[in-house]
Amino acid sequence: MAKILVVDDSSTVRDEVAGFLRKNGLDVDTAVDGKDGLSKLKMSPGIKLVISDVNMPNMDGLTMVEKIRGELANNAVNVVMLTTESSPAMKERGKAAGVKGWIVKPFKGDAVLEAFRKMAS
Amino acid sequence: MISSHAKDSFERIFRKAAQSRLALDSGDACDITPLGQGETGASLAGDVVVLTISSIVFRLILVIHFDEDASTRDYFARNAAERPFQEVFLEICNLCCGAMNQELLRYFPDLGMSTPYVLHARCVSHLEELKPGYLSSHAITINGSVHLAATVCVCAYAPIDFIADVSTVEETSGELEFF
Repeated sequence: MAKILVVDDSSTVRDEVAGFLRKNGLDVDTAVDGKDGLSKLKMSPGIKLVISDVNMPNMDGLTMVEKIRGELANNAVNVVMLTTESSPAMKERGKAAGVKGWIVKPFKGDAVLEAFRKMAS
Repeated sequence: MISSHAKDSFERIFRKAAQSRLALDSGDACDITPLGQGETGASLAGDVVVLTISSIVFRLILVIHFDEDASTRDYFARNAAERPFQEVFLEICNLCCGAMNQELLRYFPDLGMSTPYVLHARCVSHLEELKPGYLSSHAITINGSVHLAATVCVCAYAPIDFIADVSTVEETSGELEFF
């Protein structure tokens, strides 16, 4: 089964999002920051969708995306940002880095489940 | 430097964010009462959660005071009993400040928001040292039993004048915007 990687420094958000996706039959792994996310992605080539926060310690989410596309040369994985950030400048940076979509928290699972399923298939 | 329209706007934006994000269910009663000058509504022995929103023309500091008593813990951590209360509460405060940030972006496109952090409540009395152009504290009561307080502090670096219309903004949080 294709895997989804949830990257967030808040265990509350990680548990909420990962728990919801698992309850709906999806295979989910988690990472605590961008650095951890990058390393999990290197080790698990089966990951099809990354759902990531922006502001995190050690490595932020947008830097992680830039490294996924650059250092890892992985243009196949879909990345969606899940964040309280909603500034046009931040979204532009995400778009330029190859982010596929943007969700402003709070997470509303039912509103995005089908889209996540498609992106992870 | 901060016009009365702008002060009212910060107040309305805070109230809307607190009512929509600190109250976990839309049916929950969230009463917000202004406190007098110098009152913060906080116990000096407790902790506060602090977040900042910064732009070129101002820095807004949102301070949320809480006591980790049984009713507060039961309300905010009811679906996450296995996690530390502070971890859960920090994320709720993050959502509250995020809602303010989202509203303010309509008037100030250059905003950046911090992650939440915890300080001792004694720090709040030093906010005056920042010489804020707007400083306002509120008592917040949810469902009659959960008691919080919040302080909004805005330091202006240039004249600020805007009128926030918080009634017309469409709620788009949680929706996936495709690029």
